[in-house]
Amino acid sequence: MNKRILIVDDSFYMRTMLKNMLTDAGYEVVGEAANGAQALEMATSTEPDLITLDVILPDNTGLDVLKSLRQIQPSAKVVMCSAVGQEVIVNEAIENGALAYIVKPFSEEKVLEIVGAALQNDASEQTA
Amino acid sequence: MKTRDQEYRELFMAEALEYYDSMSRHLSELERNPNAGPALNELFRLMHNLKANARAMGFTDLGEVAHHLETLFGLIRDKEREFSGPLIKVVFAGVDALGNMIRAVGASQPLPDATALLDNLDRVVRGEAPILDEAEAGETEEESNRKMELSDLVYIQVKKLDNLLNLVGELVIDRDRIMTLAQELDNPALLATAQHLFRISDDLQYSVMDARLVGVGVLLNKFPRVVRDVASAEDKEVELTLSGQDVQIDRNILQIITDALLHLVRNAVSHGLETTDNRLKAGKSAVGKLTLSAMTERDDVLLQVRDDGRGIDTEAVRRKAVERGLTTANAAAGLDEEAVWAFLFEPGFSMAQKVTDISGRGVGLDVVKLALDSLGGQLRVDSEMGVGTTFTLVLPTSIAVKGALLVEVDERPYAIPLMHTDTVLALQPGQISVVGGVMVTHLHEQSVPLVPLRQLLYDEGEEPLPSANKSDIEGTQHVLVVNYNNRRLGLVVDRFMRQQNIVIKPLSKPLDTIDLFGGVTLLGSGQVCLVLDVPTLTRLFLARRP
Repeated sequence: MNKRILIVDDSFYMRTMLKNMLTDAGYEVVGEAANGAQALEMATSTEPDLITLDVILPDNTGLDVLKSLRQIQPSAKVVMCSAVGQEVIVNEAIENGALAYIVKPFSEEKVLEIVGAALQNDASEQTA
Repeated sequence: MKTRDQEYRELFMAEALEYYDSMSRHLSELERNPNAGPALNELFRLMHNLKANARAMGFTDLGEVAHHLETLFGLIRDKEREFSGPLIKVVFAGVDALGNMIRAVGASQPLPDATALLDNLDRVVRGEAPILDEAEAGETEEESNRKMELSDLVYIQVKKLDNLLNLVGELVIDRDRIMTLAQELDNPALLATAQHLFRISDDLQYSVMDARLVGVGVLLNKFPRVVRDVASAEDKEVELTLSGQDVQIDRNILQIITDALLHLVRNAVSHGLETTDNRLKAGKSAVGKLTLSAMTERDDVLLQVRDDGRGIDTEAVRRKAVERGLTTANAAAGLDEEAVWAFLFEPGFSMAQKVTDISGRGVGLDVVKLALDSLGGQLRVDSEMGVGTTFTLVLPTSIAVKGALLVEVDERPYAIPLMHTDTVLALQPGQISVVGGVMVTHLHEQSVPLVPLRQLLYDEGEEPLPSANKSDIEGTQHVLVVNYNNRRLGLVVDRFMRQQNIVIKPLSKPLDTIDLFGGVTLLGSGQVCLVLDVPTLTRLFLARRP
């Protein structure tokens, strides 16, 4: 079965690019959320295998969303997405259970490599 | 892929302009209230996004300016810098520069130099005083007040476009009516105005149709995934080639044929293409080839699904058609390949699992056919045993307006969509023979049955149509050869009127249950003209042939 991915990013451009990369590689993109509230709602309704989460979101910081996500969907693996300059938040995100992070601007190879590795990561290793 | 790059660029531009507008809004809020938290957060977020997107697009300088401003707004938010004094000027200069850069991207021009600005941004980030050229700073501010940019791209609901197209359809009908009136009244001023109205509404009609066009690629690009899924489920190796993604077609037409195309592609992978073992045994490459291509032919769009698989077993289909009572053994023996393949599109024919196994084809092809019929499109099939099968979907580029041929029977006009017409013939009695009560003529070495359209229109009931007699055929016969489902049929009419673009309106109750008529159109004279449905005419003839 294809792995199901939820994309959380407030930029339509970024979501489209990520979605194309992931879909082309055979993943199923089950939803695209543009803010934290949508992300939590969609994570509950779609139960994705993996969530790509933008660090900076309009209504919440990505970090708050990550903490809530970890509570409502503990099985979902989370990969943070961020442009350079937000290393502090990213580190905190890793401490809060995010598996990896993708630095924007990302290449297709890098995205697929990180997403693939995160999906293979065993659930037990996930809890930091 | 060119189309995808273009799509990214358009998305980038649309979003960048939106960000720029929001930035300006939040900046004026910040001017009123230098500690406005939400505005600062938003500015920080917008800069962050613009930076990331610009870098992904390769606009380094644009990304750099946004990056500096992001850092600066982060510092202001964290109270390490204050939004006051010379810093404000640098921020405004920075946002103005972003606007200019975004506009330059939109106009495909080189980005303006930002060295001095970046230098100043560095200074204020470090807490130093910027080097400001007062005159220059003042001018920039003035300039920013003049330039207001809105996105060049508008997203619009398809529903609104549908409405627009319907209104244009109404307009075109009235236009034709006015044109005819002007000719009847023979008033030169009215005629000139009517002609002008004609041209304008023509342009309007094509503009609205054009606004509804999308690249076929938006659908085709979804198929690599489908093919991979089906291929891996069937344990086959398939190489998919796409072409013609840029061919333009009405968005609703694409929507309607989505399932049909999906069906054909799945069918091709699971039934058309052989397993790797069987391919190797047949001396073929291990990897099956599947091609999805789009091309424009006259006013139509052709979508082809081509595989290099086993092909259709014509004899198996022929046997099955006789078994199912669709034809007699004698008649079946005389049918050429194309006529036999046409049985694959018969409702229910495909449901016979056995045929599917033998021919490797057929599951739900009637459904594909129905989707195409609803559009007034055509489905063609071409196949060679052991070499492969090609399905061709012939689609109109646009809905609502169709080219049609007007014919007359008993002084009443009827319209027949050009999509289904092959050719018109003027036949002398000597060119027509009668075989088993059916008139037949020869066209390109194929025999084509002829039937008076009058009989199909007036003779109700289920019983066979009256047999034709050679002696009854007198004078020139005007024949319109229509084509449906690989079958040709000659309709004998009283005369041909003209070819014209028509706007088809659905029939209202209670007439909407009469399949024979695909709808109604109004001619310029105000006369009501029924639009004939060729698929139904063909079926009616086959069911009731003498």
